Amino acid sequence: MNNLNLILAGVFSTVAASFGGLLLAGHAQLGALGRAPAEEGGPLFPALEPGLAIQGRQVYLQLGCVACHTQQVRPAGQGSDIAQGWGVRPSVARDYVLQSQVALGNRRVGPDLANYGARAKSDAEIAAHLSAPAAGSAMPAFPTLFNQGKDGSLQPNERGTALIAYLKSLRQDYSSPEAKLKQ
Amino acid sequence: MSQENQQSRPQGQGRPQGRPADTGSPRISRVDASVASPVKFFFASALLWLLVSSVLAVITAVKLHLPSFLNSCEYLTFGRLDAIQRNVFFYGWASNALIGLNLWLLASLGRFEFRNGWIATLGGLIWNLALTVGIATVLIDSQNAFELLELPRGVALAFFVAFLLAALWPAVAFVRRPTGQVFVSQWYILGASFVLPVVYLLTQLMVLWCPTNGVLQALVHSWFLQNFLLLWLGASALAAVYYFLPKELETTLTGYYLSTVGFWTLFLFAGWTGPATLLGSPVPLWIQSTGVVAAVLLFIPLTITSINFFGTLSRDSGWSRAWNNTTLRFVVFGLVAYTLALALQILFSARSLNAIIRFTSFAAGQQQLLTYAFVSMVIFGAAYYILPRLTGAFWPSAKLVHLHFWSCALAVVGSVAGSLFFGWTQGAALAAAKPFAQTMHPQEALLSSACAVLFLIGHVAFALNALGMLTTCSSSTDEARQA
Repeated sequence: MNNLNLILAGVFSTVAASFGGLLLAGHAQLGALGRAPAEEGGPLFPALEPGLAIQGRQVYLQLGCVACHTQQVRPAGQGSDIAQGWGVRPSVARDYVLQSQVALGNRRVGPDLANYGARAKSDAEIAAHLSAPAAGSAMPAFPTLFNQGKDGSLQPNERGTALIAYLKSLRQDYSSPEAKLKQ
Repeated sequence: MSQENQQSRPQGQGRPQGRPADTGSPRISRVDASVASPVKFFFASALLWLLVSSVLAVITAVKLHLPSFLNSCEYLTFGRLDAIQRNVFFYGWASNALIGLNLWLLASLGRFEFRNGWIATLGGLIWNLALTVGIATVLIDSQNAFELLELPRGVALAFFVAFLLAALWPAVAFVRRPTGQVFVSQWYILGASFVLPVVYLLTQLMVLWCPTNGVLQALVHSWFLQNFLLLWLGASALAAVYYFLPKELETTLTGYYLSTVGFWTLFLFAGWTGPATLLGSPVPLWIQSTGVVAAVLLFIPLTITSINFFGTLSRDSGWSRAWNNTTLRFVVFGLVAYTLALALQILFSARSLNAIIRFTSFAAGQQQLLTYAFVSMVIFGAAYYILPRLTGAFWPSAKLVHLHFWSCALAVVGSVAGSLFFGWTQGAALAAAKPFAQTMHPQEALLSSACAVLFLIGHVAFALNALGMLTTCSSSTDEARQA
């Protein structure tokens, strides 16, 4: 095996094989996936993101939240995500078709956020968590997302408001053709 | 490799590779002198980045149990520093060092004298500048959500150009080698140097320039990451092992004829293993299953490298001789780590086991086993061999060599064992439906902070020794060189 062309051709074929077999085949299957109604005539899901939430996604990426938080709920039997209350159904590919950059994540220092918007009670609760996380939490406070109000309380600034809107928009609690919710 | 090398080398051309030649400079061979300046440049930059990464690793480890530590300024948020530390380690330390190591190995194996070595140095300069710009962007602006693709896309383009300038040489060196022989190390280096730019460019295109639809980005990313870890870092480090092990033991490889199969099966299967890291994610099941099959098939190259390396070590008191040789002590440590890392990867691609450990620190432990305990330790071992031959000087202090080995070895064993143990126990607690907040172990963060400090001590010892040698080039005792 002392022919450069042979080695390079061989290595090229191995790269091409996995590229074609995984990525091009995956693209053929999912490349054109779009929004769809769970039942004929129903509303299209996933819902369009509000403009503020799109800005908030930038803040989420900037701060590197993905280092500790995932956004994917595994099916029952493949981990205990649903039992943990992180989702009401497993995530499916269609849930992510509107996202310009998906932040699935691969490490959970904190809980999964795929369906966080459905379990967060109010903006104030999210703001309180961002400005002063509960004792014992590994999450740092984010003082730069808040301004001091006249009464001394912390009010979310522009970026804080956007991030809260984004977190609230994270919902996977609707039926989709691939994952129907149990009635 | 060595056997063929010894037997088939034309008369008159032979000299032990990498050793000072009989002719030319009394200490530095002509081949070594021709690659000296780019290789020294790559090693010196790698060293500086290693120190930066070690300091950042201490900060991020402390932040995990003291979230308020250095938290007044947004630029020092965990999410930013964690991404920067990772990129500095992989692109600054490991990749710089491997580009330098690959250049030196090819020049030595092919007896290729570099002309225009400045082109490689220029590539290295662009590489390091691009990395600096990228880190600054992550620090003050934004980052991408994918591990090792966090840097802005413009940086990726500079990386690509830099890599072509710096690592196009392998192909040139190969074509113009005066000896007709090809050694296993050369295949691995050629393969790694080909895979990295191609895979990196395709991934950048499909994730950052023209993003594919939704979760396909995660699929492309997993494909990139496995290629990067196994076929760039892993294959380059294996090349060094295939060189140093038989050479320093002055023996032949056991089952040398199998190494061709080992090479091709690694390159054939490793690229398909990406989806095995996405089990349970919203990507099609058939893709996940393909990844699992590929991961299991890694058993073949793993078996072959084990026969090659452990067979060789088991003969003629190889283990004890390796232990008493500075380079081999690091290399063999890496080798054991490689075997463990691949075995764990195969085992934990099983769906039922993967369901427990996925998203816990177990996966981080697995990655550290491969990228630090294997790749970085092999680079250290290689540096102990190569740098004296490039500078014509000896390592200034044998004590620092010992300090380096023991602190890094202890740190990586502690850190990996901690990640694996606490990751597994957390996964098991989650599987038993314990609430998430109660499954975190505060001891884990304490242990990783202690290990990060130990890493820093080891790296400072290494850096003092290496920078001392690179800058003064003055010789010390033979004892230090033999260490």
